[in-house]
Amino acid sequence: MSDHNKQPDNQANKFDPNQLAQGVQNVNLNAPAFDPSAANTFVPNMNFQQFVPQFDPNQQQQQQYNNNYNNNYNTNYNNNYNNNYNNNYNNNYNNNNNRRGGYNNNYNNRNNYNNNYNNNNYNNNNYNNNYNNNYNNNYNNQAQEEPVAQNLNFDEFQKQQQEKVNATPKKKVLKLNLKSSTVKLAVKKKEEPKEETKEETKEETPKDESPKEEVKEAVKEETPKVEAKKSESKPSTKESTPVSSAPISKSQSVIAEQEDIIDPSVVSDMFGGKDHVSIIFMGHVDAGKSTMGGNILFLTGAVDKRTVEKYEREAKDAGRQGWYLSWIMDTNKEERNDGKTIEVGKSYFETDKRRYTILDAPGHKLYVSEMIGGASQADIGVLVISARKGEYEAGFERGGQSREHAILAKTQGVNKLVVVINKMDDPTVGWSEERYNECISKLSLFLRGVGYAKEDVVFMPVSGFTGAGLKDRVPKKDCPWYTGPSLLEYLDNMPLSQRKINDPFMLPISGKMKDLGTVIEGKIESGHIKKGSSLIMMPNKVSVEVLTIYNETESEAESAFCGEQVRLRLKNVEEEDVSTGYVLSSISHPVHTVTRFEAQVAIVELKSILSSGFSCVMHVHTAIEEVNFVQLLHKLEKGTNRKSKKAPAFAKQGMKIIAILETSEPVCLETYEDYQQLGRFTLRDQGQTIAIGKVTKLLN
Amino acid sequence: MSDEAEKNVEMWKVKKLIKSLQNARGNGTSMISLVIPPKGQISIIQKMLTDEYGTASNIKSRVNRLSVLSAITSTQQKLKLYSNVPKNGLVVYCGEVLTDEGKEKKLTIAFEPFKPINTSLYLCDNKFHVEALSELLESDDRFGFIVMDGNGALFGALSGNTREILHKFTVDLPKKHGRGGQSALRFSRLRDEKRHNYVRKVAEVAVQNFITNDKVNVKGLILAGSADFKTELSKSEMFDLRLQQKIIKIVDISYGGENGFNQAIELSAETLSNVKFIQEKKLITQYFDEISIDSGKFCYGIDDTLKALDLGACEIIIVWEGLEEVRYTLKNTEGSEVIKIVKPGTPKEDYLIDKDGSELEIVSDQPFLEWLAENYKNYGATVEFVTDRSSEGAQFCKGFGGIGALLRYKVNFEQLMSDDDDDEYFSD
Repeated sequence: MSDHNKQPDNQANKFDPNQLAQGVQNVNLNAPAFDPSAANTFVPNMNFQQFVPQFDPNQQQQQQYNNNYNNNYNTNYNNNYNNNYNNNYNNNYNNNNNRRGGYNNNYNNRNNYNNNYNNNNYNNNNYNNNYNNNYNNNYNNQAQEEPVAQNLNFDEFQKQQQEKVNATPKKKVLKLNLKSSTVKLAVKKKEEPKEETKEETKEETPKDESPKEEVKEAVKEETPKVEAKKSESKPSTKESTPVSSAPISKSQSVIAEQEDIIDPSVVSDMFGGKDHVSIIFMGHVDAGKSTMGGNILFLTGAVDKRTVEKYEREAKDAGRQGWYLSWIMDTNKEERNDGKTIEVGKSYFETDKRRYTILDAPGHKLYVSEMIGGASQADIGVLVISARKGEYEAGFERGGQSREHAILAKTQGVNKLVVVINKMDDPTVGWSEERYNECISKLSLFLRGVGYAKEDVVFMPVSGFTGAGLKDRVPKKDCPWYTGPSLLEYLDNMPLSQRKINDPFMLPISGKMKDLGTVIEGKIESGHIKKGSSLIMMPNKVSVEVLTIYNETESEAESAFCGEQVRLRLKNVEEEDVSTGYVLSSISHPVHTVTRFEAQVAIVELKSILSSGFSCVMHVHTAIEEVNFVQLLHKLEKGTNRKSKKAPAFAKQGMKIIAILETSEPVCLETYEDYQQLGRFTLRDQGQTIAIGKVTKLLN
Repeated sequence: MSDEAEKNVEMWKVKKLIKSLQNARGNGTSMISLVIPPKGQISIIQKMLTDEYGTASNIKSRVNRLSVLSAITSTQQKLKLYSNVPKNGLVVYCGEVLTDEGKEKKLTIAFEPFKPINTSLYLCDNKFHVEALSELLESDDRFGFIVMDGNGALFGALSGNTREILHKFTVDLPKKHGRGGQSALRFSRLRDEKRHNYVRKVAEVAVQNFITNDKVNVKGLILAGSADFKTELSKSEMFDLRLQQKIIKIVDISYGGENGFNQAIELSAETLSNVKFIQEKKLITQYFDEISIDSGKFCYGIDDTLKALDLGACEIIIVWEGLEEVRYTLKNTEGSEVIKIVKPGTPKEDYLIDKDGSELEIVSDQPFLEWLAENYKNYGATVEFVTDRSSEGAQFCKGFGGIGALLRYKVNFEQLMSDDDDDEYFSD
């Protein structure tokens, strides 16, 4: 865990010179040649310019060489990017291969490899490298039109991704990606001709598109290596040690581990520059979710001081002095009066690195259904735990929402969890390390039981009210024992899961309203849209046209991509015909709608038993439907998951079964294998989460 | 308890009777339905029938006349068996019923209902009138439910063991606004207005559903909802005063719609403990609990239940009132009798062939439920009839074959100890 905690530090401060060299290359070479937007994405790396003098000769050489060869800055630029990218890429790739014992490939691994790990060879190899790649790319450039070259690059890049993914099929995370990337390739093929023509008209944009991505990729890819090195060879002497094969193999294993965290392919946002991330605050009632959300907005400047002061005054008048921060999130009268969130609040802020949408879930037991809808739209979960005496216990015992929310978030596809131990400033806690450890020891055990891998969960002490540990780190005098990053720091550096930009478009509708037409709201699960694109709304099969796209900041946008929270104004559909839980999808790949499906169901909590005929409420993506168990087919043996031959007559708590479920209304579903986000669901009854499940087969 | 149980069996019998009477059709107006309330006088009825006889003899159509006259005569004969009206009143049905084969069959039924029937009725029609009896079955207290949340409202009623949804509508209320902005005030005003209108609409629909002829048609009203709406409604001036007084409970539920309705019933179980529906739910839940703790003191399916019955182990037999199985008594060539319980629709070969291949002869057939209702006392058990209207009931019917029993002691059924675990699972 501590390794993981430190990761951002490494990235930021203790960069290995080898890697630095590359970063510097990029910056130096490109800065003059390229447009500022690309440079922007590089901001973090700018730090390393201090190292420039050291490597100047090398740079010069390269530059010269490139110049000579091409007489063209632009291509040079591209090539270098690719080159660097490939270097990094291959490094990783190579590592994997080595670990897995041989894998023939036609990348110049050896060179690249040495390039990074062996300082002595650095110049020469790099030189070669450049030569090779430049040559190839130039060839492409000359022979074909530019856009095509771009596409090729992109393809190549994807191919590599795929191969890399293939190379490590045993990793869980990767396995999932494998599927998505296969899907992507297929889709890509279909879309290619279309895109080409599009891109030709807009030559400028795609030009910087792929390099940018790759640069980002490069940066991302560097991280594991730095980590690995650091942990293995104690890089106080990093520069001089020629890394021998023994530490390499060691570092490989570490890299392999790291890959769970760092996604192999971050196909990031194309135009925005910053990634968009949705985070959801969840936890037991009164754990301080809204206050924390409000405070973050305040600290990042998303809400100005005057407004906060106004709230402070009003709250005081209303006799709720300490609540003014939560008023930023809780805008309804009822919510303010009772001091508890009822509906999921949504808010937006940005940091230097990323754009965030905060989803503030209600903690109260009755509003868990609301919370599920929110969780389905989040990428990262922040589980807020109150450290205050009594509150922690209440939230965590049976029926407490800390537990339930953690399970629900997991089943809604929130795979990364930040557990913040809140209210550390409370007099009963007083930043006590003991209390903190007490809280996290039980929690980590429980979370592992829920299915969170150790590296997907991180703990940190904060105070939502004072703001300690949110934006800035906790002051040392309060809390000398915690040295990890603050919440925002951590979120900024958190590796993101892969975005499926080129998959078929899919957006589960989470809200709708009437505002000069029909406006719907939701998070794009996959794909991208442009203004004017036509889509189909399932399950009522209405084809609609996107009139306007509003992004998180409520401003109009030309297009939107996977992962963003958007509002769309639609043509050809009345507001009455839309309802939450419907899915907007691309016309060529409409979502399946069914009323009957087969699913694997794990029963989490059930007082008595369930058998066929049992009815309850199902939450799937943003939809809420009543379902009925039509037939129980098999039960699964504990541990081995083998199917029983005989159908069980009933199922009780702790059992896993395969059953046929039926809904009264058609629901948009996909099998879990095809599409996770639309293939997993939660079953609730009597205000309790009774089971979680995944769709295995669509019937009818 | 046993009294209660007997009453239940009695009720079930009446229910069955009603069903068969409802489907009966006769010639012209020859079907006589006669209901005499308690403390009515047989002699007065007799006199009336004689008058009727006189009137009926003027009927032009010969066939009709004859059948009406004969029906009246039969009724009179039947009434002669009673010297006075039993304490719960008397119900007589008499007439010539057309059977499935198109033949006419004379039917005369007279019985005392299981609880006082306060209706006086004499009708000649081409069908039997059973409304009075059905009412009797459902004359338990009726409770109204209003389930309202942010998505819509549902109006339901619960009486006896029936649960009905009277009305349902959805509503679109503006959600919480993402960010304040300059229109925050206006937005919140619009929002308040919409919410206010929603409460008004619910209040109005409540009046339509729960007030008939200026009177509240339910004994009590239960308000359920997930957010503040229900309390808002209960305090609102728009909510009819008569209904307001009938509110007996306000419960918190997590969903609207039907699931919310079910949960509301569950949560108000204590208040409604004497309603049949709740009792039924409780019973099945008790049975399910027994299963979930695996106490072994339960069984399900006809075969196991009959075995347990023979062992005398059954404490309470729970059976779905819609169970269709037929109990055949069969005789083989050697003259010994076999009993088989068969689901209707199974091919005859399945049960009419003996082990040695010889054909069996049907001695008698009887619906299994009827047999159970007649014979359960011999086995020292009590029988509870349940419906599939509650969610538990639905599970019981679909998942457990509609019959099961709570046992006095643990019984090991052979099939329960069958193959060991390894065989139970597929090898993949």
